Amino acid sequence: MQVRKLAAFAALPVVAALALSACGGKGGDSASSSNGVVRIGIAEPQFLTPADTNETSGSQVLAALFAPLVDYDENNKPYEVQAESITTTDNKTWTIKIKDGWTFHNGEKVTSDSYINAWNAAAYKGSSQNAYFFSQIEGYDAVAPADAKATPTAKTLSGLKKVDDTSFTVTLTAPFSDFKTMLGYTAFYPLPAAAFDSDGAVKKDFAEAPIGDGPFKMDGTWQHDAEISVTRYDAYKGTAPHISGADFKIYQQPSAEYADLLAGNDDVMKQIPTENLTTADGDLGDRFLQSPASTFQFLSFPTYDKSFANVDVRRAISMAIDRQQIVDQVFKGSQKAAYSFVSPVVAGYRDNTCGANCEYKPADAKTLYQQAGGPAKLTISYNADGGHKDWVDATCNQLKANLGVECVGQPEAKFADLLTKVQKKESVGVFRMAWVMDYPSMEDYLGPLYTTKGSSNYYGYSNPDFDKLVQDGREAKTSDEAIAKWQQAEDILAKDMPVMPLRFGQNSYGISTKVKNVEIDLYNRVNLTKIEYVG
Amino acid sequence: MSDFETAAASELHSATPGLQGEPGAPGQPQTMESATKVRSAAADAWRELRRNALFWIALAIVLVILVMACWPSLFTSADPNSCSLNNQMAGPSAGAPFGYDFQGCNVWAHAVYGTRNSLLIGAGAAILAGVLAMVIGMIAGFFGGWIDAVVSRIVDIVLAIPLLLGAIVLMKRIPSDSQSLRLTALIGILGVLGWTTAARVVRSSVITAKQQDYVSAARMLGAGNGRIMWRHIMPNVLAPFLVIITIALGAFIASEATLSFLGVGLKPPSISWGSDIATARVHMREKITPLAVPSVFLALTVLAFIMLGDAIREAFDPKLR
Repeated sequence: MQVRKLAAFAALPVVAALALSACGGKGGDSASSSNGVVRIGIAEPQFLTPADTNETSGSQVLAALFAPLVDYDENNKPYEVQAESITTTDNKTWTIKIKDGWTFHNGEKVTSDSYINAWNAAAYKGSSQNAYFFSQIEGYDAVAPADAKATPTAKTLSGLKKVDDTSFTVTLTAPFSDFKTMLGYTAFYPLPAAAFDSDGAVKKDFAEAPIGDGPFKMDGTWQHDAEISVTRYDAYKGTAPHISGADFKIYQQPSAEYADLLAGNDDVMKQIPTENLTTADGDLGDRFLQSPASTFQFLSFPTYDKSFANVDVRRAISMAIDRQQIVDQVFKGSQKAAYSFVSPVVAGYRDNTCGANCEYKPADAKTLYQQAGGPAKLTISYNADGGHKDWVDATCNQLKANLGVECVGQPEAKFADLLTKVQKKESVGVFRMAWVMDYPSMEDYLGPLYTTKGSSNYYGYSNPDFDKLVQDGREAKTSDEAIAKWQQAEDILAKDMPVMPLRFGQNSYGISTKVKNVEIDLYNRVNLTKIEYVG
Repeated sequence: MSDFETAAASELHSATPGLQGEPGAPGQPQTMESATKVRSAAADAWRELRRNALFWIALAIVLVILVMACWPSLFTSADPNSCSLNNQMAGPSAGAPFGYDFQGCNVWAHAVYGTRNSLLIGAGAAILAGVLAMVIGMIAGFFGGWIDAVVSRIVDIVLAIPLLLGAIVLMKRIPSDSQSLRLTALIGILGVLGWTTAARVVRSSVITAKQQDYVSAARMLGAGNGRIMWRHIMPNVLAPFLVIITIALGAFIASEATLSFLGVGLKPPSISWGSDIATARVHMREKITPLAVPSVFLALTVLAFIMLGDAIREAFDPKLR
């Protein structure tokens, strides 16, 4: 009797587990896998509207739902997808023709209005995250006055003109040779009329189930912090994907996703956490893959802080860091040591533009640091949610040993917290940043980051010569001329050292046994057209 | 008068509640006549303790930890803060009996130097909590009435705040650049949130003690409240109070480690076992010693204080003999 009672109690949790797993609904492996749905891990997207999405999780989902005007080939040259042709004679006025007969997931036709309305909404008041990308279009100042409180004098960009249903023109304020390249960015997706309210703004609940024109459509709505499901859109006119759908599983913790990948509950993990890199080879074998990425990791000096005002202090700190050792031992070779300010993935990259300032010379660094009177205590601020502790601590240990200073890593909960402190000009010491390019152009590594009005110039760097060279490059007639100007601008950075390059990233990803042909592009997105399900 | 008082005082030390009626046991009125022959409760307890092996083990560990906290350089000649990737995950060598961790820090030196902060916070919080508990418990138990009612409700309220949760919320507000400030704040927060159980013990001991005949006698002889509390009641409260505070000291050390593990306690460059464990955790599958060494240090320290408290409690409580 006693034994039987115990057995009954022991059975309870089993029953409960069975009952609970039954609640999972469509969660079962065999159910979702048999029809060719792949599961891809992402983080919770900030937004799912093209105008606001600028992080990798959101752009991954949008890449499934929307078709871009242009995409990029292996050499990062743009080729037309939804666009029929993109032409210009003077780099200032661009004519965009789109392919006829494409439809949104709700059956609506994709017309030139779909683009014009979406772009006008994104630029209006300059309040969307990606408004910066429309600032080169004529009439931007009227819809988004520099003074945020002023009322815009226009609702639409005067530079956008409809020609007919399948073509429109874009007039820029100044010639920009890489405008066609820029059009592949998330911000330039079209939106259906169903997305707008009567005022021409995007509806608030549109992001819960975006309607796009891409190879996949939403299956249900965005289940926050849980999952976003998409299924194949059969009326898609572009290259049809091999899979019948994708479940984007949302993870809060990379370590949790890694465990799921090992357990076979996740098919693609886009970025293996640094701490798991040492064991990933053994855990995954040939399912552990790497591909180039456009990430550029660097440490920035707050130039508003007197301690770092002297360029020799910045040079000395840069020379005291052994980049290769950190790459080899902390990242296990999964990233590349950076000695330039521009990623090797874009045209115009030159190796070692940083020169002597990035060379590891501990003895010289120490002498230089003492002569320049560098601070006795250094802090490196970083965001704690990104897995940066290991390399920041290692960097600090190198600075301690090589410069004879105190050095501590200072974690901030989120990257936004760090940026807020920087914007208030609080003392944060040296702080980490990273840049993933928006579109494959050398300009994208220079303009937003270091020009005086750059959207991501958080360190207060300002050099009129640099600003001029970047602008000259934009206005140059040919790409080669542009690159020559931008390379001169990069040389100024190497002299001024507002930041120190550390590493170029790579996608280190893991896949399950159920998928093949998994490619992750330079923007850390899985190529959903190529991925195949093998079961 | 003075004769009586000394006798009463020495006798009162032994007036542990619950001893009444035990033949030959101290605490009964007749001991006044034969005070020299009968051992006091403290002496009795000491006799018990001496025979308790656990007590000696716990005491030995506590002593070693104390020495380690005061003079860490006796145990290691390495500098815990000099780490180099050249030593990453290196095996044991001279001066580093447990090898090096992922950042190339000496695991043993780190653990040894972590002792001071743990002990400092544990002891500091225990003293603060002890003082608060003693004063508040004494006042509530002795005066009774509405004072007791108010104080008891306050105790209930503080008791309802979970120690860790409260500490996490408060520690988040402490700036992270001043390490001495964080240490003081930890002591303050743990002490202020952790005094309640001890206060309850003190209060109930005071209530039992104040009903004793000798307290009435002292009062009739004209002793004031302060004198009665200090000389007649306090000695009776001391034993259970010390027991609970010793155990609390261990618990405070564990709490500090938990907070540091969660990243809201001490932060580098301060060395703490908790943050060492958190750092080593992610590389656990590659090498276990960086995780094991601070964990064992922490477990042994907490265990030692709890065992010590337990041994003392057993020695003082005749029912457990």
